[in-house]
Amino acid sequence: MKFVRRHTATAMAGVAAMALMATGCSSSSEQAASADNPVELTVTTFGTFGYDDLYAEYEKANPGVKVKATNIDRGSNARTDAFTKLAAGSGLSDVVAIEEGWLGSIMEVSDQFVDLNEHGAADIKDNWVDWKFQQGTDQDGRVIGYGTDIGPQGLCYNGKLFEAAGMPSDRESVAKLFGGGDATWETYFKLGEQYKAATGKAWYDQSGFVWNSMVNQMEEGYYTKDGELNVDGNSEMKAKFEMLAAGTAAGLSANQTQWDWGNGKAFVDGSFATFVCPGWMLGTIKGQLESAGGGTESGWDFADVFPGGASNWGGAFLSVPKTSEHPAEAAKLAAWLTAPEQQVKQSAAANNFPSTLKAQEKLVADATPNVVFNNAPTGVILANRAKGVVAQFKGPDDSVIQENVFGPALKMLDAGTADADKAWSEALTLLNDLVVNN
Amino acid sequence: MTTTMNRPAKPAAAIKPKPTFKQRLNVFDVKASPYLYIAPFFILFALVGLFPLVYTFVVSLFDWHLLKGQGDFVGLQNFTEVLQDRFFWNSLFNTVSIFLLSAIPQLAVALFLAAVLDQNLRAKTFWRMSVLLPYIVTPVAVAMIFTNMFGEQYGLINNVLGNFGLDPVMWKNETLPSHIAIATMVNWRWTGYNALILLAAMQAVPRDLYESAALDGAGALRRFFSITLPSIRPTMVFVVITSTIGGLQIFTEPRLFDPATAGGSQRQFQTTVLYLWEMAFQRQNFGKASTIAWLLFLIIVLFGVINYLISRRIATADAARPSRSTRRARERAERTTR
Repeated sequence: MKFVRRHTATAMAGVAAMALMATGCSSSSEQAASADNPVELTVTTFGTFGYDDLYAEYEKANPGVKVKATNIDRGSNARTDAFTKLAAGSGLSDVVAIEEGWLGSIMEVSDQFVDLNEHGAADIKDNWVDWKFQQGTDQDGRVIGYGTDIGPQGLCYNGKLFEAAGMPSDRESVAKLFGGGDATWETYFKLGEQYKAATGKAWYDQSGFVWNSMVNQMEEGYYTKDGELNVDGNSEMKAKFEMLAAGTAAGLSANQTQWDWGNGKAFVDGSFATFVCPGWMLGTIKGQLESAGGGTESGWDFADVFPGGASNWGGAFLSVPKTSEHPAEAAKLAAWLTAPEQQVKQSAAANNFPSTLKAQEKLVADATPNVVFNNAPTGVILANRAKGVVAQFKGPDDSVIQENVFGPALKMLDAGTADADKAWSEALTLLNDLVVNN
Repeated sequence: MTTTMNRPAKPAAAIKPKPTFKQRLNVFDVKASPYLYIAPFFILFALVGLFPLVYTFVVSLFDWHLLKGQGDFVGLQNFTEVLQDRFFWNSLFNTVSIFLLSAIPQLAVALFLAAVLDQNLRAKTFWRMSVLLPYIVTPVAVAMIFTNMFGEQYGLINNVLGNFGLDPVMWKNETLPSHIAIATMVNWRWTGYNALILLAAMQAVPRDLYESAALDGAGALRRFFSITLPSIRPTMVFVVITSTIGGLQIFTEPRLFDPATAGGSQRQFQTTVLYLWEMAFQRQNFGKASTIAWLLFLIIVLFGVINYLISRRIATADAARPSRSTRRARERAERTTR
């Protein structure tokens, strides 16, 4: 009997402790964090976010707040992580970074996120480029995400490879070579053929990223503004696909693996000479060069030009899920991280391009040369590239269409197992199977 | 009233003493506590095994969106759609192909390793522990290292092939090479583990059998095939069944073989579990994902039954046991004579 009683006692203690924990959590959420009321905030980001120093700075300025950060390697894995936890109803961090590509899905369950208006979003609204702030607002006017960066696209190119092919290699001449303000994809592919003829090497790493750039540049992408699918029968899109297919068929694609590039080796061994670069991609390239042991001598540079004109690919948001136990503190952290001052620091660490006007101005004024990219003033160039960018409507399955529908079709082109028509019809079949009749 | 008052006293001897509380508790203890002792397993199983199984089936009857949650009841529509889905059959083909490519060489090598380890080696424990080493490494680490080695443009294997003037193998873009690559990872991890299990069985084979066989002039090979193999049949069956179940549920290796896609750009090595994963977390169709899970469950049960039937024949083939009907007839005869 004694045995039994002891067990009941411990069980009761356990239950009591759990009850205490439960009530303890709910009561502390209202109080602001302080040294006496420590709060731990979890943050999940992905790719190259450049927040590490900022977390430390925030902890220092806000005693009692401890930031526990997780960074996921790439956006698509962050998507899976976020979706899984949303579906499970628990496990999301207090602050979650959301990528533009899957924002459409998130918007369908925007009620699972805290309306940042309750935490002063209206006061800082004017910080952002207006379309970025709009993207983070749902149909009911609830603000569920503060913009971090945007993805205006410039052209990364390898000066050394250009030189070896007898092409101009300094930034201004390259911009002019591609057509400056009137740069077109036709010129891009024509130059690629010249380069291929001169060196026998590929022009771009793989077709997927070029395709993303082309689609993001269109006024309406995979969805119309009204949210209707916009792929089948879209002759403009098909024409672009055919142009890309022709380039790839001519050997302009190095058929590299996206996000892998042989652990960055492809960036140092001259596999390809150009690369489509949204702001955040500069950080990705830096990371790839580091992992492959390449430095400034690898020859990468950044030109103020982009085929087909202004384009925006990607960019992220910070949001606070409803499951957060400290929504007020989390919203405060998200607002602080996305404030102009911090965006400037983020940009310096991650090479991405800020979404707030003041931060953009500061980047232009500083014109800091970027050592990795042959001292190109990447901030100034990206600011120029951001001119004329219009936000494209992203539908609920945008990222699925990009990765699971067009991904396989483009890979067929890269591997040389299909021509343009076959690949396009494969994309349509996949679209039918995976999205329309899902 | 009167009847109760004038109740005749029963003879004292006939009265069974009323069991005390303690005695009754004892009886209860004997009868009930065994169930109590095995209850934890069954409660746990009901919680983490049976409930999910039933709930998955319920989900599979609905239009169920990953984020938006439960939708309309659709009956068995998900099942008919998945059964007509070319990607489902593709995934099933890949799963079976990878399973065969891994299970067969794995068993052969494990058997060989076990036979070697069964000899009188110096530093026995060292060798036995060494074969288990790959099993300790997490599958994720294994997958990452092998994925790197099997890289198409920068991988170690293709580099070596290139040095010999051979064409690089498209490990990720072609179906068969990708299956071989994934089967290699599986084999690397599980061969040693299975070898140890088989070794344990071999150790239980009576040594005097070998001695007399040797005296009769049987060579090492003959002894292996005529004594060792028949003696470890039940264990072989166990190994086959567990590796079948494991093989049909393979996920980590193909998932990490190309982290950017769900089993290859053209689904060259998308296994059924990987397809389930794509359905749930990329296409966000939880209903169909549950359907796939259930179909996979049924397929595994089917494989299990086939395995059981075959293995029963193998396990009993040598013992020349009488068939069930003759055995029953004999028992009945014995009972009546008694």
